[in-house]
Amino acid sequence: MTQSLTQAQLVAWLGAFRDAVHEHRDHLTELDAAIGDADHGTNLTRGMDAVMALVDADDAPDTAASLLKAVGMKLVSTVGGASGPLYGTFFLRAAAAAGDAETLDAEAVLGMLRAGAEGLAARGKATVGDKTMVDALTPAVQALADAVGRGDGLPAGLRAAADAAAEGREATTPLEARKGRASYLGERSKGHTDPGAASATMLVEALADAVA
Amino acid sequence: MIGIVVVSHSRALADAVVELATQMTADDGPTVSVAAGADGGLGTDATAVAEALAEAASPDGVLVLMDLGSAVMSAELAIELADLGGTEVRLSPAPLVEGLVAAVVRAAGGADLATVAREAEAALTPKQSALGEPAAAGPSDEAGGPTPPEASVTLTLVNPTGLHARPAARLATALGRLDAEVVVAANGREADGASSLELLTLGTEQGTEITVSATGPDAQRAVDTARTLVEEGFGELDAGTS
Repeated sequence: MTQSLTQAQLVAWLGAFRDAVHEHRDHLTELDAAIGDADHGTNLTRGMDAVMALVDADDAPDTAASLLKAVGMKLVSTVGGASGPLYGTFFLRAAAAAGDAETLDAEAVLGMLRAGAEGLAARGKATVGDKTMVDALTPAVQALADAVGRGDGLPAGLRAAADAAAEGREATTPLEARKGRASYLGERSKGHTDPGAASATMLVEALADAVA
Repeated sequence: MIGIVVVSHSRALADAVVELATQMTADDGPTVSVAAGADGGLGTDATAVAEALAEAASPDGVLVLMDLGSAVMSAELAIELADLGGTEVRLSPAPLVEGLVAAVVRAAGGADLATVAREAEAALTPKQSALGEPAAAGPSDEAGGPTPPEASVTLTLVNPTGLHARPAARLATALGRLDAEVVVAANGREADGASSLELLTLGTEQGTEITVSATGPDAQRAVDTARTLVEEGFGELDAGTS
């Protein structure tokens, strides 16, 4: 029941997210081309490549907090677009929540993801329904909280979180965007899945995969 | 004097707008630090913004002007990242070009952070006024109001273009540094003498009469300063042709 997230799994998470944004780079860019500025896939692959260069280095940070903080700073300085400060804030807040915890049990992982998601939402001044990353992350955190409350293990909890994120991503399709460049389109943003919600779902799915 | 930070997606854009704005003031203007681009390309980098904030930090505060999109979020994050002690930082909603030009001039005149921030936010006024939208400088109904000026002079503009951008900046900077409230009236309108923006809205040209009225300890110096600048044509008169 009480399984903990290891440093190796954190690294595996980041690697899986890098792989996902590479694999789906063109898809993310297409989604972004429809309602944004067509750079989401490119920006995230550049950012995650820089992150993995840091993570794979011999002197990579060896605690959860220091690793997540370094990831956040790297994203902030390499992504360029709005997803830089957004995902950057996610990882910086997650790092602060991880603190100097020796082991990251399900409660601690929930605290990390919640702090990250709330920080990201505050940075973007977005709430659920605005057609953003928040539409995937908020239900994911809620699903993990429910699972932790039930006493489910981390693998099951994170799988539920990934499913909730995917559901949230799908739910963005009919919405009218209220944040970011997509909001300039007004009604015309309807009928397109939000690229931020898509990449945020990949982030949660990558974590579920790393812990499975 | 406050410090100023420019956040832009483009290094070329940032450098150009800083060049444009700082040519309005002499070398003794505010520190203007730039954070532009990310990872060598277009974009914004909150860590670079944090460094620019530290570079421009002043006990009088820092005003941040941004271009668009992620520039705002990167600037907000940078305030959290930067270790600025108690330095007050304000993010300005002003348009980058107009806002920076107005802010640099007002800051060079020694105005405090709140005043410079207001000046930047009002920076679209001259363009709106030129295009026939409501102007900020009101009609001079209140002239000769409750406090009569302690010093006053009426002058005729001799430089070719009147109080256009650079002369207005020079006059506002010089007047801003004095301990006096200065009102410049022309064409039935009034402007704050320390605001280059308001001076621009007076719609002056060569030959326009302006009245400079001042109150406060430096009132006479303010009037004398204005007279000197106007008579010298703000340094714009070609030697030998005046």
